[in-house]
Amino acid sequence: MKMEEVSMSSLDNSKLEALAQDILSDLVEDACLGLCFEVHRAVKQGYFFLDDTDQESMRDFEIVDQPGLDVFGQVYNQWKNKECVCPNCSRSIAASRFAPHLEKCLGMGRNSSRIANRRIVTGNNTNNKSESDQEDNDDVNDNDWSYGAEKKAKKRKSDKNPNSPRRSKSFKHKSNMMGPRRRMDNQESPRMLMKDEAFSQ
Amino acid sequence: MSKESRMKATVNQKLTEMGERERLKELLRAKLTECGWKDQMKAHCKEVIKEKGLEHVTVEDLVVEITPKGRALVPDSVKKELLHRIRAFLAQHAT
Repeated sequence: MKMEEVSMSSLDNSKLEALAQDILSDLVEDACLGLCFEVHRAVKQGYFFLDDTDQESMRDFEIVDQPGLDVFGQVYNQWKNKECVCPNCSRSIAASRFAPHLEKCLGMGRNSSRIANRRIVTGNNTNNKSESDQEDNDDVNDNDWSYGAEKKAKKRKSDKNPNSPRRSKSFKHKSNMMGPRRRMDNQESPRMLMKDEAFSQ
Repeated sequence: MSKESRMKATVNQKLTEMGERERLKELLRAKLTECGWKDQMKAHCKEVIKEKGLEHVTVEDLVVEITPKGRALVPDSVKKELLHRIRAFLAQHAT
């Protein structure tokens, strides 16, 4: 059915508004009635009061709203300060550091083999005692941003195997540099003359 | 029938035909559940039932007790949103 254009345009805003309110009112009433039917059926079928238990149980399981407790009434940060004893090294470790410590201690984490290798290298050159006395040994090693780890990393680089191929490479590199430099030195300082040069002149 | 009531009938018919009425109903129901209105009303129902007795309560009892309170307890935000949708529909299809 087409809307009558004449009647539409003659309506002012207040009438449209009243119409909107009417429609809303209808919808709300519809929702209320819907709820009534739903409840009535639940009552007659006997399932309306199913989620209620006796008063005592209701009180037992009521939601807890106290500071420091969760909704079940348990203390939720009581493991922050607890300490656990490591079954491997028998040290007392803070709970939050326990899992990473176990990883290193048992040799099972991602980096534990790397750290163990590093330690073997430094263990040959420096005194082992100073490292094992530190309490947070594990943390310092795997923390990229700590100054202590940086120092150790730098130290280890210098302790690399002197027989590694890298070393000989640097000698090769030096000899290559000799070529072009030689000519320059000839002109500027006679002191830099090589044995060969003396003869070729 | 007056001009306005004819208009109203036409609008209502259009609302139903286009499915907008159903959508609005669903939207209203969802909003009312979300804001806790339904739970409030259910709690009120429990009181009414305890008063009238579980065996003897009728639909009429519930309707009479629930509807006025229900209308009053609808939050303004929900009303506003529904009105917005209705006005948009009217603007689009009634003028």
